[in-house]
Amino acid sequence: MSQTQTAQSNYTGPIVVDPLTRIEGHLRVEVEVDNGIIKEARCCGTLFRGLETILKGRDPRDAQHFTQRTCGVCTYTHALATTRALEDAINKPIPANATYIRNLVLGQQFLHDHLVHFYHLHALDFVDVANALQADPAKTASIATSISPRKVKAEDFKQTQDKLKAFVESGQLGPFTNAYFLGGHPAYQLSPELNLLATHDYLLALRVQVEAARGMAVFGAKNPHVQFMVGGGVTCYEALTPERIAEFKDIYKKTRQFIEEVYFPDLLAVAKEYKNWAAYGGTTNFMAFGEFPVAGGERDLETRWLRPGVIYDRKIGEVQKFDPARIAEHVRHSWYVGAEAKTPYEGETNPSFTKMGDKDRYSWLKAPRYSDTAMETGPLAQVLVAYAQGHKTVKPLVDTVLKELGVDASALFSTLGRTGARCVETLAIASQMDTWFKEYENNIAKGDKKIVEDYPAPKNAKGVGFVNAPRGGLSHWLVTDGDARIGNFQLVVPTTWNLGPRDAKDVPGAAEQALVGTPVADPKRPVEILRTIHSFDPCIACAVHVIDGRTNEVHKFKVV
Amino acid sequence: MEDPRRTLILGVGNILLRDEGFGVRAVERLAREHLWPEGVRLLDGGTKGLLLMPDIMDCDLLVVLDVVLGPEAPGTFYRLEGEDLRRSLGFRDSMHQTDLQDTLIACDLAGHRPETIVLGMHPFDWTTLAAELTPEAEALLPAFCDKVLATLAALGIAPTSAA
Repeated sequence: MSQTQTAQSNYTGPIVVDPLTRIEGHLRVEVEVDNGIIKEARCCGTLFRGLETILKGRDPRDAQHFTQRTCGVCTYTHALATTRALEDAINKPIPANATYIRNLVLGQQFLHDHLVHFYHLHALDFVDVANALQADPAKTASIATSISPRKVKAEDFKQTQDKLKAFVESGQLGPFTNAYFLGGHPAYQLSPELNLLATHDYLLALRVQVEAARGMAVFGAKNPHVQFMVGGGVTCYEALTPERIAEFKDIYKKTRQFIEEVYFPDLLAVAKEYKNWAAYGGTTNFMAFGEFPVAGGERDLETRWLRPGVIYDRKIGEVQKFDPARIAEHVRHSWYVGAEAKTPYEGETNPSFTKMGDKDRYSWLKAPRYSDTAMETGPLAQVLVAYAQGHKTVKPLVDTVLKELGVDASALFSTLGRTGARCVETLAIASQMDTWFKEYENNIAKGDKKIVEDYPAPKNAKGVGFVNAPRGGLSHWLVTDGDARIGNFQLVVPTTWNLGPRDAKDVPGAAEQALVGTPVADPKRPVEILRTIHSFDPCIACAVHVIDGRTNEVHKFKVV
Repeated sequence: MEDPRRTLILGVGNILLRDEGFGVRAVERLAREHLWPEGVRLLDGGTKGLLLMPDIMDCDLLVVLDVVLGPEAPGTFYRLEGEDLRRSLGFRDSMHQTDLQDTLIACDLAGHRPETIVLGMHPFDWTTLAAELTPEAEALLPAFCDKVLATLAALGIAPTSAA
């Protein structure tokens, strides 16, 4: 297959994307373009963080109810990170069943999050939905059945086209409003048939994710917020019943089938047409916390199913051991007082806003560094670390993807590699969950029904909770005082690693590095910036939900 | 015969940003102070966006309690439905994972969009990081809940008793 030419321009000047859509929260990206190529980038998180002001003085056992509200999507992972921080401070083990339950819910969250990311947050950067109307449904069906065992007919794709047509004619474009592909765009590279296939599966995935989300709630008592997590284990006794386990397993199996028979083949089909994107969007250093602790070893990072590790300068032959003490947060280019990097245990949040567009201090995000080095975290980092360690599930999957695409491992250091790694991570976790279900059921069958230990909140203690969340390495850092109340609490979230600003040495953050060298075909519709930024799956909490009616053309609200 | 429709009363918003959490506080209060008939569900939806689809798609009538930026002063109560709701925009353009209107459109695309009414208050402060409502919003909470009850009563939906 000949490689597609990347669309180019000779534009020179600045581009500002504000806000970036399809992102949880609020993010602004400023780039300098020289003769059609990005030369410099600044990422600016514009929502103010400082959760410790809310948490100081509270009982640390209540903290998770606040931390999980910082994001609309990552509630579970924040609850888990806070609880692990508390357990680290308590310094005692938790029951095996608690770890099984946590792992299974986190696993299901990965399946849900990653498929939603691919289809609903990222696909529109590559898929021209409007162009799908030009496709031949019969040809689309034969492509679909050639890449997947699923049963799908020309009529199904015809129906999708009809639905899409009606949707476009209604004038309410919803998720496609202001999409860059409207009216045609030179950087979109798929055939009409692949555009139709991906659009069809976008709609299918909307329904599948509804089911997948139900799965997360089966152990969690049908509530969208996590109530069952405590320092010492979990409190969802219904999760021990055969009925609940069967219900969860059933949903898991359907989700897994979609991932294996639709998400993975679609990813490969789209990636084959975008192999030129293996040359753009790469970074150099990678850090993974690892995830899915072994039962009985919740707090041990090294024995996690996916192990932690650090890779410098793309040297996948030399994975370094991860050492939590090497993490510090910089504020030199952020809107906070001071210039000194601090360990999160001593982190402060003293805001000092300059102005929007300032090139010196330009973000509300801090800049976390590991050994004073900017790190990428997330699926690509975790998959690279696991690949380098010869992980028995991850390595064959990566090799399969590389072979299918006809590229070598260097292609992983790119936007395409990041998006592919997310699918590999999903597939690996989906297959492993089957084993965890079996181990969990066997453990219950042996008579172990324990899910929680009762531990008091510790006085004058410190603890950190590490989670490899779907978006990457998440850590919560807790310090308690002499009354066992919260003295300090810092969240270092994946998006600050990936989308944070420059540090005290003026070294750009991961995404700022990734954008450099990327061509922009149309400066008014810079889809190339979205491709790389979205490939990091950024999340700039706090999430808000206010309805803004002021931008309405006609104010017809009924005042009640 | 009672209204056979499955009703979801959904409080949304972020409780960490002062009045942004008004809808959540309202649904908590309604759940605390009344017993509701079978078929009526009250839920704190936070800012969970697409993750609320399982709950939204399981109902026929959706009553959303939220904060709404309208043309009137803070503290004004608004009711949005039908075209008005369609035309109002989410917070700062479209953020597809948390945006309520896009979640409703996604429900439509996925096969079922319930009839929806939004009841909201224009917030006093929704940008300060704090877990409590402003005193002004706190004082208006009972009156707002009365409006919700009146709106539901007009649709034939009422609590079975005070809890």
